[in-house]
Amino acid sequence: MGGRDATMVLLDENGIRCDGRKVDEPRRIMIKAGGLKNADGSAYIEFGDNKILVGVFGPRDVHPKHMSNTDTGILRVRYHMEPFSVGERKNPAPSRREIEISKVIKEALEPAVMLEKFPRTAVDVFIEILQADGGTRCAALTAASVALADAGIPMRDMVAAIAAGKVADTVILDVNNEEDQAGQADMPIGYMPSLKKITLLQLDGVLTPEEYKKCVDVGVKGCELVYELQKKALNDKYFGNRGD
Amino acid sequence: MADKRKYVIPGDVITSGPFRPEQNVILEGNNIIATAVGISEIYEDSVKVIPLTGKYIPKINDLVIGKVISHTSLSWELDVNSCYVGFLPAQDVFGRDFSTHADELSSKLKTGDLVAARIANFDRTRDPLITISDRDLGKIDDGVLVKISSSKVPRLIGKKGSMIQMIEMGTNAAVTIGQNGWVVVSCETEEGLLKAKKAIEMVNEKAHIANLTDLIKDMLDGKDES
Amino acid sequence: MTSVSVIDELKRTQILELLEQGKRVDGRALDESRELKIEPNAIPKANGSARVYLGDTEVICGVKIQPDRPFPDTGDKGLFICTAELLPLSHPTVETGPPQPPVIELARVTDRGIRESHMIDVTQLVIEKDKSVIGVFADNVVVDYDGNLFDACSYAATAALLNSKTPTWEMVDEKPTVVEGGEKQLPINTIPVSVTMAKIGNYIVVDPNGDEWASMDSRVTITTDSDGNICALQKGGSDGFTQDEINQCGELSIKVGAKIREQLKSVQQESQ
Repeated sequence: MGGRDATMVLLDENGIRCDGRKVDEPRRIMIKAGGLKNADGSAYIEFGDNKILVGVFGPRDVHPKHMSNTDTGILRVRYHMEPFSVGERKNPAPSRREIEISKVIKEALEPAVMLEKFPRTAVDVFIEILQADGGTRCAALTAASVALADAGIPMRDMVAAIAAGKVADTVILDVNNEEDQAGQADMPIGYMPSLKKITLLQLDGVLTPEEYKKCVDVGVKGCELVYELQKKALNDKYFGNRGD
Repeated sequence: MADKRKYVIPGDVITSGPFRPEQNVILEGNNIIATAVGISEIYEDSVKVIPLTGKYIPKINDLVIGKVISHTSLSWELDVNSCYVGFLPAQDVFGRDFSTHADELSSKLKTGDLVAARIANFDRTRDPLITISDRDLGKIDDGVLVKISSSKVPRLIGKKGSMIQMIEMGTNAAVTIGQNGWVVVSCETEEGLLKAKKAIEMVNEKAHIANLTDLIKDMLDGKDES
Repeated sequence: MTSVSVIDELKRTQILELLEQGKRVDGRALDESRELKIEPNAIPKANGSARVYLGDTEVICGVKIQPDRPFPDTGDKGLFICTAELLPLSHPTVETGPPQPPVIELARVTDRGIRESHMIDVTQLVIEKDKSVIGVFADNVVVDYDGNLFDACSYAATAALLNSKTPTWEMVDEKPTVVEGGEKQLPINTIPVSVTMAKIGNYIVVDPNGDEWASMDSRVTITTDSDGNICALQKGGSDGFTQDEINQCGELSIKVGAKIREQLKSVQQESQ
């Protein structure tokens, strides 16, 4: 983290953030279910300036066979950034950061997906970051959940995600890139709205015990907002806007 | 029944109370929760969700269209558009007296061939067992393969076969529908073939639209804009 | 494709039967390419970008322009590097892991098509000779597969480069520093266009789709420049072409390429 630009005003005297938002205001979010022709399920999300595409295959045969599980299907997640997605061109080879995020997203989805009925198979989730601007793992997890539903993978709940954080000693919702770089804390949260369980949680930064509870609360409420857009995306594709 | 149907996505609470959870539904505490994108239906003592997406899950006795992807000296492996690969033993085609020396599998079915087949047996501990030994089954020599979502197959068949009959009669095409979403269409005229293909693709894309039957009828009669 | 995809024998037979009547499964003429849709600036934060749809094949190319060190023997030239990656979400048979030979070939052929045409005047991309030059990276990612990735990547990269804006750098204290307000288009000499043709039986078809790609015996990708000259060529597949067929393909690449060049020209004009 660390302050890169000490002169940037992250929160002015009117409570307005560096991109014009209020403290509890998320960036513009747009989610579309489907779109890819070959994947079994897919979704596309724009979360502020983040542009992320997710494709799902499965349940399908596992290769190599020794990786399969005889009692249940397995979930595999690959979070990958395109070379042109970030400020300085990124090498196409997987970085340690991408590998860690892949694991964290997988573990955020596992409580939701029900793969016991598909032993010896795998469900593959491929996340491609086309353009990054802070909060990609939350946006990716949100889109992955929609892509899994689009593929017909049985799930006990959706998983919605957003990051809470702290700038200028104030708890905020939906941390953008500047706030992540120069702010005081960044807490990505993934949440199952019906079962009311948090399945992704990380923290970067320093929070007092009160700020910690507030961040979690602000984050969970933010996830509920994001969930409404996931519902809308699936409604638009499957129910032709007739969903109740 | 109509007002007890709801559009649901995974995690939606359909109802609560003493109902038996059936397909695509689970009991969580006192709530019945949907586990798929689809239409929920509440019966007297049970609840289920008809999925609008998802791969084909083999059911015993289903008619499916399969594609041979490989074979050993004892069996063929078939792609049946499911999570599992279909297993067709050599005895099913050559009979009980099958011998690996005398009988060469690729003489009957080779990689890339399409077959009309039936699911003989299936449970999740092993791959689906396939048979092609009935009269209306076997290698498909002629026709075009159209792939639709297996969840749209009931709509393509229609109530008591009404939709598919309308398509066949309106185009003079012969259509074999696999429960796995693979459909083979053959027709003497190219025009009829293209029309039948188009009708099937329309069902796949517009299955959720209420007046789909009229739309298809208009297309077959040549009344639509295209 | 990176791994063997089993085609329906039935489909290959149908493709050949139709070709004998001068037709293709999707109704195109043998020398007709699919509808090409180009969306420039698909990735606004990159220096340039384009999303390209060639039928159902979809490719996104993002261009990043940043200072770099020159190659030791060409201190008076900037860098141009073009890559291509097949994303696993584009087709069920695509595996993750290091790129397989077909994808490496795809990347190198796309790179050569643009490089050999001298599309970008790399002599104008020098900040300080032998010390600091401008590096132009055009990275293609295939998002959906339906045959003919060679042409889709070529069009995506070309459109992205035509759409690109490069900052101007000057050396300040031995370090390349951005000059405010110094954004301009890349120095473009020509617009390369690749055309890929497949041989199925005895027939040559332009812009094979996924099924035709799986059924073909061999293929050739030919790149032409704005003067109508042929500047790059790659033959692939396990069968051969006769001399007449190769000549026929050369003519087709010029004819079909000219049409596609018009579409790319309008991308260039829009970006100015």
